Amino acid sequence: MNDSSSECVFCKIVQGKVPSDIVYEDELVVAFWDARPQYPIHILIVPRRHIETFNDIDPEDRILSHMGQAIQKIALEMGVAKNGYRVLFNVNPGGGQVIFHLHCHLLAREAPPKA
Amino acid sequence: MSDCVFCNIIEGAIPAEKVYEDELVVAFHDAYPASPVHILIVPRRHVPTFNDIPEGDPILTHMGQVARKIAKDLGVAESGYRFFVNVNRGGGQVVFHLHAHIVAGNDFGTLLIKLAIGGAILWRRLARLARKK
Repeated sequence: MNDSSSECVFCKIVQGKVPSDIVYEDELVVAFWDARPQYPIHILIVPRRHIETFNDIDPEDRILSHMGQAIQKIALEMGVAKNGYRVLFNVNPGGGQVIFHLHCHLLAREAPPKA
Repeated sequence: MSDCVFCNIIEGAIPAEKVYEDELVVAFHDAYPASPVHILIVPRRHVPTFNDIPEGDPILTHMGQVARKIAKDLGVAESGYRFFVNVNRGGGQVVFHLHAHIVAGNDFGTLLIKLAIGGAILWRRLARLARKK
């Protein structure tokens, strides 16, 4: 695993050195709005620890399940859980990965109804 | 017989081109592939959607491990692939038994290679035409 955390934009967001619109955080993950959203709802869920790609998740690591739980909560809070959303990991350049710090996209077409 | 097509595939009542199975999940080629590589990873236990995964359940971690293994076996781990779960109708879910898609092969790299090969063929044809004149 590459120790490129000082150069990594997601590490900087996690550390608060680069501003972002954070919607959820806990001891393992941080979730924030994609800076260039492709969908009305476009949230990125990022583990605090720098893991380069989906391929680099340690077999013993339960980060994926933890990210899944965070996504369930965020989808509920944003009001898209029932209508639907997509949970997407792009892996390596051929899979569309641009930033090499593991992240998951939460995508939904419908904006939450205004309260 | 259950109404769920994936439960039927898991039980072997409906045929599918399986690529992997263990005590927790079954993986097979999508019957309607959207890409040259399109695999579905399905937990044996009937969970309707991603929203219904109980807290503390490690199934997603396991599905991820299986996805990495399959991507490696199919030779797309390094070039790249997408791992995604569609949740409910608005998220594109059609079969209401939790499943993850592994999709690969329609990437930009492949497009570049196709363009390069196409360009080379065209170049050769043009060169041949020029020689004839």
